Amino acid sequence: MSMSNKRKKIDNILQGITYLAASVAVVTLSLIFIFVFRNGAGLVNFGLITNDYHAKYYNGGIEEVVSFSQTSKPDFLGDDDFYSEKWGIALSDDLNREGKQIIVVSYVAKDSPLNNMYDRNNQDNQYFNIEEGNIVTSISFFDKNSALSMFGAKNMIDELDNSDMFREIIFSSLGGGIRGSLITTLYVIGLTLLFALPIGIFTAIYLNEFAKKNRVTNTIRSMIEMLTGVPSIIFGLMGLAVFVPLTVKYTPADSANLLSGSLTLAVILLPVIIRSTEESLKVVPDDFRFASLALGANSTQTTFKVVLPSSLPGILTATLLAIGRIIGESAALIFAIGTAVKDDVSIFGKSTTLAVNIWSLMTDEPANIELASTIAIIILMIVLILNVAVKLLSRNFIKRFE
Amino acid sequence: MCIWGYKNMSKTKTLLTNLKNRFTFNSKKELVDFFVRIFFFLATIISASFIIIIIFFIAREGIKPFVTDNNGIGRVDVIRFLMGDTWLQGTVFQSNLYGVGFIIINTVYIALLSLSISMPIGVLTALFIAKIAPKRLSEILRTTVELLAAIPSIIYGLFGSGIILQLVYNFAKLFGIQSSGGNSVMATVLVLSLMILPTITALSEVAIRSVRKDIIHGSLALGATKTQTNFKVVLTSAKSGIFTAAILGTGRALGEATAVYLVAGNARSGPSLGFFQTTSTLTSTMLQGLKETIGIDYDIRFSVGIVLMIIILLTNATLNFIKRRVGNVDVK
Repeated sequence: MSMSNKRKKIDNILQGITYLAASVAVVTLSLIFIFVFRNGAGLVNFGLITNDYHAKYYNGGIEEVVSFSQTSKPDFLGDDDFYSEKWGIALSDDLNREGKQIIVVSYVAKDSPLNNMYDRNNQDNQYFNIEEGNIVTSISFFDKNSALSMFGAKNMIDELDNSDMFREIIFSSLGGGIRGSLITTLYVIGLTLLFALPIGIFTAIYLNEFAKKNRVTNTIRSMIEMLTGVPSIIFGLMGLAVFVPLTVKYTPADSANLLSGSLTLAVILLPVIIRSTEESLKVVPDDFRFASLALGANSTQTTFKVVLPSSLPGILTATLLAIGRIIGESAALIFAIGTAVKDDVSIFGKSTTLAVNIWSLMTDEPANIELASTIAIIILMIVLILNVAVKLLSRNFIKRFE
Repeated sequence: MCIWGYKNMSKTKTLLTNLKNRFTFNSKKELVDFFVRIFFFLATIISASFIIIIIFFIAREGIKPFVTDNNGIGRVDVIRFLMGDTWLQGTVFQSNLYGVGFIIINTVYIALLSLSISMPIGVLTALFIAKIAPKRLSEILRTTVELLAAIPSIIYGLFGSGIILQLVYNFAKLFGIQSSGGNSVMATVLVLSLMILPTITALSEVAIRSVRKDIIHGSLALGATKTQTNFKVVLTSAKSGIFTAAILGTGRALGEATAVYLVAGNARSGPSLGFFQTTSTLTSTMLQGLKETIGIDYDIRFSVGIVLMIIILLTNATLNFIKRRVGNVDVK
C-alpha cells in the first residue's frame, strides 16, 4: 500500500513537472506578443504605412496675399484645434516621441493662401503647400517677433490672425513612417521569388521526375540539403562577396542593393522551395503519370500538364513559406542590402526591409523601441496569416488524393 | 517487395526507352523533351552549386588576412588569431593583432547554456502536448508552438532588448552588480533559449508522437503507470528524434546573429564566463561596425565566418556521435 502511494506521489510530481514546463513555455512566449503589442500598438495607424521615414523640412515664403481664406471653422475641429479663418489653417498642440512640445497642422482650408507658398531655400519658383499632419516649427514676421512652437498653437494662430503678411514659415513632414521599408519588402519578395521559384521548382521536378537513383543524384541532394544548415549570416557574407560585386559590375548599382539582397535570399530559400515542391510532387500518384504517358504524351507534357498542376497547392505552400522567411530575414540582408532606411526605393539602391528596419531602429542611439515594435506587429500579423494559410492549404491538399 | 520490384522494372524500362530515343529524335516532341530535361538539369546544377560557391568565396576572402600582408599591415598569425583573448589590439586598419579564441569559447558556452535551459523545458512541453494534455488543448498548443517557431529572430531580439535587458539589469542589482544596461551572458542565453524553444518543442513532439504504440502498450501491460511509461519508455524511445531537435537547436543558437547582437553587449575581450558580464559571439562580432568593404577589417569577418562554420560542423559531429553512442530505439 505504501509502495503504491509512493509511486503515485512520484507520478504526480513528474506529471506536475510537465505541466510546469508547458506553462513556462506558453507564458514566456506569450509575453513576447504582449510586449510587442503593448509597445507598438500606439503607433499603428494608416499614416505609418504611407509616411516617409525621414522628415522633410520646408521654409515657405509667401507673396502678397490678394484674397484671404473665406472658410469658417469646420465642425469636426475640436476646442483643442485653434483656427485662423483669415489664413484657413488650424493648429493644435501635441507632444512628440521625446516628449517635446510640437505644433501639428490639423486642418488646411481649400482656399487657404498657405496652399501657394514658394521655397525660400531654393529660388526655382517651385510652389508647395502645407498639409495636414505637418509640424510647424516657427513663423517669422517682418514687423514683430517670431511665433515659436514653444509658445503653443494658440499664440501662433493669434499672431497669424493679426498679420497680413509673414516672412517665413518653417515646417516639416512628420516622418517616422515605414512606406519605404514596406515597398522595399514587397520589391524584395517579388524579386526573390522571381529568382528562386523557377530554379527551385525545376530542381524539384528534375530530382523527383527525371533523376536516376544513383550516386550523383544523392550527392546533388545532399549538397542542396547542406544549405539548410548554413546560418543566415554566412549567406549574408556570401551575398557581400559574390552578389554585391556582381550587381555593381553589371547594373547601375554602386553598392549593396535590392538586387544583391534578393539574390542572396533566393539562395537561402532554394532548399525550402525544393523540399516542399518535392513533397507535393511525391503526393501526386504515379497513376496520373502512367495514364498521361499511356495516352501518348511525352514526359515534358506529362510534367507540365499533369504533374505540375496537381502539385500546385504544394508549390503555393512553398511560396507562402518563402514569403514568411523573406519578411523575417535580417542577418543576411544587413550585409547584402545594407541598413540605411530609405524613402525613395530603387532596385539598384540601398534600402531596408521591415525586419532590417527594426534592426536599424534598435541599433540607433537612442533605440526606437516603439516604432520597432509597431513594425514587429506588422511582421507578426503577416507571419500569422501566412502560417494559417499554409495550414489550410496543406490540409486541403492532402484530402485531394485520399 | 513485389510492388517495389514492379515499380523499378517499369522505371528501368522507361529509362531504357528514353535512353534509346535520346539521340534519335523521331519527332519534335522528343527533341523538346530532350531540351527540357537538360534545362531542368541545369537548374539542379545551379541549386547544388551554391554550397560550393559559399564555401569557395568565404574561404577565399577569409584566408586573405593570413596569407597576404594586408597592404603593409602585416600577416595575421593563425595561432594568435585562434587563441587570442582580445578582438583587436591597436587601431582598426593599422593593426594585425586580431584574436577570436575568447569569442569561440563565448559562443560555445552560450549555446550550451541556452540548450541546457530549453532542452528540458522543450522536451517536457513536447511530452505534455503529445501524451498528457487533453486532445483539444494539445491541438491548440501544437498550433501555437508551430506559429512561435515561425516568428523571425529579430523579434526575439526586440523582445530581448526591451524586456530581458531590464530584467537582467534589475536581477544583477539584487546581487549588487552593476551590469552594462543588462547586456550580458545571461540576457543572451535567455533570448537564445526562448528562440530555440519552439523549434525543440515542435521536433521533440513529432519524435514523441511517433513512438510505436506496442512499446507503450507493453510497458503498460507490465504494470507501469502512465507517467512511468511516459518518462521511462516514451522519452527513451524518442531519444533519437530528441537528439535531432537538440542538434538543430544548437545550430540555430550558434548561428543566430541579430538577436544576439542586440543583447550581448559586444565585449572586445574575454572570455566572459560570468553571468552578468558583457559578451560577444562569432556572429555578433561579424556584425560589429562594418564600414569599409575592403581591407583587413572587412576580410577578417570572413575569417570569423570560416571559424563559425567549423564550430557548427564540429558541434554537429559531436552531437551526432553522442546520438549514435546513446543508441537508437525502433521508432516508426
